[in-house]
Amino acid sequence: MALLSFLLRRLGLSIFVFIGVLILTFIVSRVIPSNPAALYAGARPRPEQVAEIEKKLGLDKPLSEQFRVYVDDLLNGDLGESYHSRRSINTDLSIFLPATLELVIAAVLIALVFGIPIGVLAGAYPRSVFDYATRFVAIAGVSVPSFWLALIAQSIFFSQLGWLPLGSRISRDATLFYPIAAQTGFYLIDAAISGNWKAWLDAARHLILPALVLSAYPLGITIRMTQASMLEVLAEPYVAAARAAGLPRRVILFKLALKNAVMPALTVVGLSFAYSITGAFLVETIFSWPGVGKYVTEAVLNVDFPVIIAVSLVVTLFYILVNLLVDVVQALLDPRVRLV
Amino acid sequence: MAILAVENLHLRFSTPFGAVYALRGIDFELTKGEILGLVGETGCGKSVTGRSVLRLLDDSARITDGRILFEDRDLLRLPEAAMREIRGRRIAMIFQDPATALNPLFTIGQQINDVLRAHIPGAADARRSRTIELLASVGLPDPAQMVEVYPHQLSGGQQQRAMIALSLAAEPDVIIADEPTTALDVTIQAQILDLLRTLQRKRAISVILITHDLGVVAETCQQVVVLYAGRVVEAGSATAVFANPQHPYTRGLLAALPRPGSRGSELKVIPGSVPSGLERVKGCAFAPRCEHVMERCRVNQPALASLTAAHQAACFLHEASVHG
Repeated sequence: MALLSFLLRRLGLSIFVFIGVLILTFIVSRVIPSNPAALYAGARPRPEQVAEIEKKLGLDKPLSEQFRVYVDDLLNGDLGESYHSRRSINTDLSIFLPATLELVIAAVLIALVFGIPIGVLAGAYPRSVFDYATRFVAIAGVSVPSFWLALIAQSIFFSQLGWLPLGSRISRDATLFYPIAAQTGFYLIDAAISGNWKAWLDAARHLILPALVLSAYPLGITIRMTQASMLEVLAEPYVAAARAAGLPRRVILFKLALKNAVMPALTVVGLSFAYSITGAFLVETIFSWPGVGKYVTEAVLNVDFPVIIAVSLVVTLFYILVNLLVDVVQALLDPRVRLV
Repeated sequence: MAILAVENLHLRFSTPFGAVYALRGIDFELTKGEILGLVGETGCGKSVTGRSVLRLLDDSARITDGRILFEDRDLLRLPEAAMREIRGRRIAMIFQDPATALNPLFTIGQQINDVLRAHIPGAADARRSRTIELLASVGLPDPAQMVEVYPHQLSGGQQQRAMIALSLAAEPDVIIADEPTTALDVTIQAQILDLLRTLQRKRAISVILITHDLGVVAETCQQVVVLYAGRVVEAGSATAVFANPQHPYTRGLLAALPRPGSRGSELKVIPGSVPSGLERVKGCAFAPRCEHVMERCRVNQPALASLTAAHQAACFLHEASVHG
């Protein structure tokens, strides 16, 4: 019960964040000096064409009225239409968002699955060779630019070794001979649901390199954060008490201490997850990954406001959701948090 | 019969300022089924001695000499795996501040369960009923519900009771209680000490009670060991030491106790302060503060010598009376 009311309170606060972002992006898009109607009309429009389009898009109405219409559409689940391609943004995002989420979730899982145990051991054996080695890996992961890592990865695993494909989500052969029945848009999930294991394997092989490259940053911070908070936690009296009680080292490190030390890493990885939805665009571009990053980059270059606003809102939504998830995990781990 | 014997224990810490000689030859024996009070002021080495027994020292600490005999095995020479079987199962520890010595993210039941699982084979529901029994035996109200409770939901006294239950879980033979009542209110202190005494009698456990509070020792202990600057200055049965303190330091400590009836008169103090441990002490460490100091005290270190069968002191004042 305490957990539920905690959740509702956090959710209530998040709604204000969402509304704030909505108002801000909307106003910014309307006050920036550019002419969306002219953009919509295409190359060299006649003035009467522009006027007609302004009317059609409602751009001749006052700002408050435009905002009301936009919010109205939004509440009906309609994100609008791209000025540039005139395609429905809902349709576009239903393709690009799963692609990006699949990539980013894979990257974050890699970061957590490897980063946390490495961080725990590095914290448990400070000043050891392992500690110094992981420091190097962690700092490299955080500071090496992703595009450089992407190119190196391609040159090794595609050009030199030929183990993994160069880019895109799936091979042409797979789309031709064993196509994945689209349901969620996550290839690995869709292929698994339909038992299409050949396509699953193909999609997984395509996912490995971009996911690894994208995981470098969250992996680095996961290691560093976990190691740092383990160092603190291992100095706590309850750890000494656990040792005095003769508990196995494995239990002390990975159960008793880790539960106390895992939150900072989860918090930061949660933030980097939401950031990566658009921040992955370099990796997406290099690996020809049809994701949100690429989509919004093009929209920015074309001053395609409906798309920019829509993606901003989606990213905001994910920031909120991920933070909420982190809060829930924290409340589950720490009974004292539920009281706050 | 001694269940635990500390012999000539020397320990030093390496610090940025140089080596600190924290223990400079500690000797005492814990008699089976008794409570031994390890007394001294902050920095005298009493906690470090307790931690040495379980080998729970920081990396900066090094035991340079001595033996710790438990049932004729030297704990300092046991491999780590054997040591883990002794910790909790044979020798357990109670810590000063239960608020920090209990893991905040696990229920009392989970924490006791971990100890049981590490040491005593058995099914999960057997462990659960054992946990409830333990919580009842330390006087926690509503023990079946206490299993599900987190440390922060308990009062300080209840937390220390839970900590004691935790230390008793694997039925150890020896408990090292490191200032178990220091973080508690005076009224709760008395209850906890009472509980310790009762448990010790019922279960025939031997206890090392580490404290700076002579009052606690007088109330609770059969044996007393007084430490000063990393050495034993006086030891013996509580009755002998309290009735007839022989070392000037023990006398000073006892004189410094506030007593009912002495209200209004000035509290006695021992002038000066404890040596830092950074410099090697020559002669008796207490010499600079001692009112009976003699020439030889500054040159030679007095050894711990028996005055009677149940009373020893390390002071040249008594050498004459012992040998002459």
